[in-house]
Amino acid sequence: MSRVLAIATREFASFFRIPLGWVVVALFLSLSAVFFAKGTLVPGEPAEMRTFFGVWWFLLLFVTPAVSMRLLSEELRTGTIEPLLTAPVSEWTIVFGKYLAAVGFLAAMLLPSVVFVGVLEYLARPDYGAIGAGYLGLLLLGMLYLAVGTLASTLTSSQTLAFLGTLFGLLLLDLAPSRLAAQAPEPWAGLLFKLSPSFRVTDFARGLIDTSAAAYFLLASFWFVALAAVILQSRRWR
Amino acid sequence: MIQVKGVSKFYGTFPAVQGVTFEATPGQVVGLLGPNGAGKTTTIRMITGFLPPSAGRIAVCGHDTISASAESRQKIGYLPESAPLYPEMRVRDYLSHRARLYGMPRVDRKPAIIRAADRCRLLEVMTRRIGHLSKGFRQRVGLASAILHNPPVLILDEPSNGLDPAQIRETRTLIKDLSAQRTVLVSSHILPEVERTCDRVVIIARGQIRADGAPPELLARMLRQVPARHIVEIYVETRPDPEAGGRSELDRIASKIRAIPGVAALLREPIHGEPPDPTGARVAEWVRLVVMPEVTHPDLREPLSRTLSSATVLFRELRRQAPTLEQLFMRVIDAETVPVGASNAAQEGGGE
Repeated sequence: MSRVLAIATREFASFFRIPLGWVVVALFLSLSAVFFAKGTLVPGEPAEMRTFFGVWWFLLLFVTPAVSMRLLSEELRTGTIEPLLTAPVSEWTIVFGKYLAAVGFLAAMLLPSVVFVGVLEYLARPDYGAIGAGYLGLLLLGMLYLAVGTLASTLTSSQTLAFLGTLFGLLLLDLAPSRLAAQAPEPWAGLLFKLSPSFRVTDFARGLIDTSAAAYFLLASFWFVALAAVILQSRRWR
Repeated sequence: MIQVKGVSKFYGTFPAVQGVTFEATPGQVVGLLGPNGAGKTTTIRMITGFLPPSAGRIAVCGHDTISASAESRQKIGYLPESAPLYPEMRVRDYLSHRARLYGMPRVDRKPAIIRAADRCRLLEVMTRRIGHLSKGFRQRVGLASAILHNPPVLILDEPSNGLDPAQIRETRTLIKDLSAQRTVLVSSHILPEVERTCDRVVIIARGQIRADGAPPELLARMLRQVPARHIVEIYVETRPDPEAGGRSELDRIASKIRAIPGVAALLREPIHGEPPDPTGARVAEWVRLVVMPEVTHPDLREPLSRTLSSATVLFRELRRQAPTLEQLFMRVIDAETVPVGASNAAQEGGGE
């Protein structure tokens, strides 16, 4: 576990040692601020962040690939993967540590947005339950997206390819089940809807914490991270 | 202790390393010498567990690199070729990160970092970013991270690559110091480098071991297989002589030399720096001949001088020139399959 943390803390710190991390945070927060001012701070509307979370889910589609694209692609490109894989650490430790760092970065990126909640508190009485659930949904969705991104990053030494691969992968993961569900006959339609992350996350914004949805996000994330570890392991055998 | 037994590695159908067998014991600096693309890095990567061998077994301090991979990696300190590092990190943070990866307890980390940094003369740059350091310093950061956990086995892939002569000398001294209780494996394509640093040299070419032994011993063994050439400079007429049937004096002497038992070949070599003959009136000139002896006749100086004296030819030089290490090395790596050394002791025993 201490080796997972060693990898996670190094990776987490490196997000802030390079411009990329700061640029992603700045873009995410400034875009959020625009949407908050335009969509949520409307006189007469209830003090809630439902529409705002909807915007964030959409933003995550583009932000998380930018966060995860570097994780392993950079190591593969610069050759630092060699000292890493020849240290007594397993592929699973490496991938999981890096994934943890990315999730930590996502959480750190969301942290300043608490200011928006403060603004609502100043103006009205927001429903903290719904806001808390919304944040949880956002984090869970981000974890799944980052897991897909980690997988893409183990597949290529090009960050650009990792970014595009993640983006297309997420669009496919998000859109394919819901589009197919619309045409599928009944038992399948329900099932396919439940596979779509954006469908699964909608309840969270309403303040509804569905344990099956939470389990879905955690299991799906685990599955993608585990697959990434297997792929990194397979690199040794090629 | 490193034991490599019958190890091969194929990239697809291309054999990068074929049937490599050698051992390295503590207190010894073993040099892996060979031209670029000979299979040095592949061999090293298999020992460090970065690549699995296609065939054969490798054990580091008794731990198999496949079945006890983590244990064997824990025993190794490894500096990969061109020392890949994280440029955005500070030297101290990087060393601390590596110490954590090797599972060093918190209390031991700081003294270990200071010790390694001191040995590699890094103390002055501890707070600098790695990306801002010179190539020499970066190499030293890589070296410091390799010796951080005090490993019994140290593997350095081309440690002197891209360093200036002063830095190369420093690295060489450091490697010697580190080898006291350790097994050290150093790869290089530079012969004098290996000759000076290593107690034993394993020469590898086209994925196969061509020679294995201590440098002086290897040199002696190779000398027995590659005879020394003899150089003779004589003062003779080179113009055809009608009285002798169109043959020149040079032709006559040359055929006498060829008749000496043990002469394999005779060549004429130009003499550089000889003053030209502008008038063209000179009847004779200095000619340099190179006599290649057969392996059975390593020293032809006596028969040569007898022949020249009896032919009453003026000669100003008769010299036996042993092949340089470089020439021997080239011969060994160019040879198709004439391996010499410990790995072929049985084969060689019959011949000696």
